[in-house]
Amino acid sequence: MRKPASSTPERHEAASYEIRLEGHLDARWAAQLDATSLIHESDGTTVISILAADQSRLHGLLQRIRDLALPLVSVTRLRPADPEQPSTLPAPLPNKGH
Amino acid sequence: MASPLVATKLFVPTRRTGLVARPRLRERLDHGAKARLTLVSAPAGFGKTTLIAEWLANASKRASAWLSLDRTDNDPGTFWSDVIAALQTAAPGVGATMLSSLQSGQQLNEHLLAGLVNDLSAAPVAVHLVLDDYHVIDQPDVHAGITFLVEHLPPQIHIAIATRVDPPFPLARLRAQGELVEVRSADLRFTGEEATAYFNREMHLGLSPRNISALEERTEGWIAALQLAALSMQGREDVTAFVAGFAGNNRYVFDYLVEEVLQRQSEAVRSFLLRTSFLDRLSGPLCDAVTASRGGGALLDALHRQNLFLVPLDDRRQWYRYHHLFADVLQAHFVSEGEAELPILHRRASDWYEQNGERPKAIDHALAGADIERAAALIELAIPETSRNRGEAIIRGWARVLPAELVRARPVLGIGLVGGLVSRGEFEGIEDRLRDVERGLATLAQGGAPAHNLVVIDRDQLPRLPGAIELYRAALAQVRGDIVGVIHHAQRVLDLAPADDDLGRAGGTAFLGIANWSAGNLEAARCAWAEGRDGLQRAGHIADTLGVSIALADITLAQGRLGDAIEACDRALQLAAAQGGPPLRGTADMHAGLSELHRERNDLDAARQHLATSQELGARAGLPQHPYRWRIAAAQLRRDEGDFDGAIVLLDEAERLYISDFFPYVRPVSAIRARMRIAQGRLDEALRWQRERGFTIGDELSYLREYEHITVARLLLAQGAGGTEVRLFLDRLLESAVSGGRMRSVIEISLLQALASRAAGDGAVALVAVERALTIGEPEGYVRLFVDEGEAIASLLRAALKRGITPAYTRRLLAAFGPAERAQPAHADLIEPLSERELDVLRLLRSDLGGLEIARELMISLNTMRSHTKNIYEKLGVTSRRSAVHRADELRLFGHTQPN
Repeated sequence: MRKPASSTPERHEAASYEIRLEGHLDARWAAQLDATSLIHESDGTTVISILAADQSRLHGLLQRIRDLALPLVSVTRLRPADPEQPSTLPAPLPNKGH
Repeated sequence: MASPLVATKLFVPTRRTGLVARPRLRERLDHGAKARLTLVSAPAGFGKTTLIAEWLANASKRASAWLSLDRTDNDPGTFWSDVIAALQTAAPGVGATMLSSLQSGQQLNEHLLAGLVNDLSAAPVAVHLVLDDYHVIDQPDVHAGITFLVEHLPPQIHIAIATRVDPPFPLARLRAQGELVEVRSADLRFTGEEATAYFNREMHLGLSPRNISALEERTEGWIAALQLAALSMQGREDVTAFVAGFAGNNRYVFDYLVEEVLQRQSEAVRSFLLRTSFLDRLSGPLCDAVTASRGGGALLDALHRQNLFLVPLDDRRQWYRYHHLFADVLQAHFVSEGEAELPILHRRASDWYEQNGERPKAIDHALAGADIERAAALIELAIPETSRNRGEAIIRGWARVLPAELVRARPVLGIGLVGGLVSRGEFEGIEDRLRDVERGLATLAQGGAPAHNLVVIDRDQLPRLPGAIELYRAALAQVRGDIVGVIHHAQRVLDLAPADDDLGRAGGTAFLGIANWSAGNLEAARCAWAEGRDGLQRAGHIADTLGVSIALADITLAQGRLGDAIEACDRALQLAAAQGGPPLRGTADMHAGLSELHRERNDLDAARQHLATSQELGARAGLPQHPYRWRIAAAQLRRDEGDFDGAIVLLDEAERLYISDFFPYVRPVSAIRARMRIAQGRLDEALRWQRERGFTIGDELSYLREYEHITVARLLLAQGAGGTEVRLFLDRLLESAVSGGRMRSVIEISLLQALASRAAGDGAVALVAVERALTIGEPEGYVRLFVDEGEAIASLLRAALKRGITPAYTRRLLAAFGPAERAQPAHADLIEPLSERELDVLRLLRSDLGGLEIARELMISLNTMRSHTKNIYEKLGVTSRRSAVHRADELRLFGHTQPN
């Protein structure tokens, strides 16, 4: 399990996020949503990663997702400094989907 | 009349064919109409808009006011103008006052909203106000305004909101009060029954129950998806294969279905859809220009008939838009296939809008197409008109997106952006921007334009730049409170601005006027404002001359030039009237000013009339200070009628509504209220004011504090202090007022000096002071200044009359004291006023103390006490203690306060 990011003191700094959506989103959306990667999971969800997003960028993205009526499953903040979780860092290039 | 762009927002979406009747939801909405608010909250594509439009068309006995919101409605002014335009389609005239206030640039406030609520409660028809796409609103001010409206909603009005996000209203409270009815996605999604009715009865697809339930499950009743599915299945042989293919994969429903739909279109239609998907409005000619082909109008018509997610924006089928969700998915397709082409398409759209006179849209597309040079050129040309139309928010938006480097090379653009920012009260970074403009100008002057890549599109603006730079520096100094700086830069404006730049020069004189006024240089201020007024008049900015005229009236009144002050207001009103059309903004202020001015001359009928006119014109034709000015004028008249409490209520309101608007605050409401309290005998309240403000008679004097210092002197006199200290303070005040040429204050201070001298038993000095007041007051016809002082001044005036001082004027003043005063027997004239000590004795003579006790109380000898008593009897013309007390009461020597 990923631990929730500690709140203070870096609360307002940019961080990386994983956003899980229901359904498999076409890879072309990676560019539209300015995502670093877009991965189709076998459970029928899509995980979008964004790097170094501050709160306003995150909310802008959530708004785009809202406008596409994409059902939101989860939003997770990643802790790049967490040595236990190096593998959860998003891949630097967009995944082209299945 | 709503502009064409606004008209498309007020258009109630037309009913499409192929709709499923939804009685369960209609009932819910009928029920909701009894509550204040109906909230239809669900993601895109759940049929929110259709549901409300359907319901209005079928069920409602009320008139409907429809508003489709867009991003521009995040400006409260735009939002409320649009709401009123929508309401007026149902109830003509509603909100007219609020609308013209907003159009004249007044900031939104609760008074304006309360006015709208009043209009609505008086509206003869019941109205459904529908706010569609409310999720585009993210401005807290707009949310607060709607919350206020919902909370004060008259019973015959109902609000329905369609949104993708729950708005930040107190929904829980409304729900608990039964004032909120909600329709959410779970309610909106098609049930199996509705899906069957849609596919088989409306679309005639003849689907099997199994296929319908598969589609239903896959889309979870999402209506937009079911519609796309129906489009994909029309004319298809292998419907079951389609359903199996669709249901058997995990792709985002819209990705899958849009692809299906696109594949089934001809190449021409497919290309048209993708290449126009980025347009937020579509018309035949615009689409033709963007796709560089013809027949766009016919194609749009055909697409609409096919239900291809095209929403008409008017009833002439000229403008459409794509369903937002459909457009989003199309754009994603297009970007992945034709990204390189997008800037070209934006350029074509920009050109088309520019040629068709919609420059702001042309700018939007230039920016969206990342053609920043073109955007900069268009913005430079657009700024003068945009600021004339008070589009400062738009200019600020441009200032944010244009790169600094680009602006630096464009001095005309640079100064235009500064103007927009300063008008919005944004001063950060302005100094740097001004320096860049200055540098650009210097380079141009050396003829170095090409080498430095300087760009000037709007050459006509160049000559006014040097003056404009100084004008905005004056504004910066004003914000810093640097009066010397303001005067310096404002003077430079007048040195640098071309003779025909009436607006620029008027701006300079306005700052010069404000600075001099604040510094107490009234004559310099008056000259500057008068020059500014004439310049504005020459430039045809008549509405602005009204704002200048009210300042002129304030200043000339302070100078004691009552006649000139009245003339300034009258002249401005005549000029405004000559314009025709609705009353110009500022006319209400002129009438409030005239009310006070006529009151000074004791022409109370005229004063009341102007006050009533001012109220009728109201906020609609009022400058920012109008709500405050009107209440001050009204409070004075209330006081004259003896209604002190009513006057105080008005003053409290005035204090709350006061806005500086750059004018110096020379007559603070708290001091006016303290004076009322003094006149009322409520000295404790006045003393508290003095304590809180920390004024003493040792203060350094300045024009800005003069009104308050005179109030302090009044308070001391009311406490019975006629001592040397007060008289010295008054002497200092007089000297300061005389040297500043503030003759109204000179009259007032002289009258107070007379009262102080009289109280000290110095009748001769009192008469000298009264004579000064009379001599200055006569030519201008001041009356109330004298009358307001009450009987004490009346007796001095009688004394003055006996000595033949300004006899006609003095008689007129005495007559103004009212019938009660004229009925006084002639021998009541107290030529020789009682001294302070004599008044003390007289006060105790009214008690039941014996002579010895009185002497002890005053710590004087019995002999001294007797000689005081003898003097008192002589001055009052009586021979006994009883008749002395009686006469003192008759003369109201102690006002309303009774001795203990």
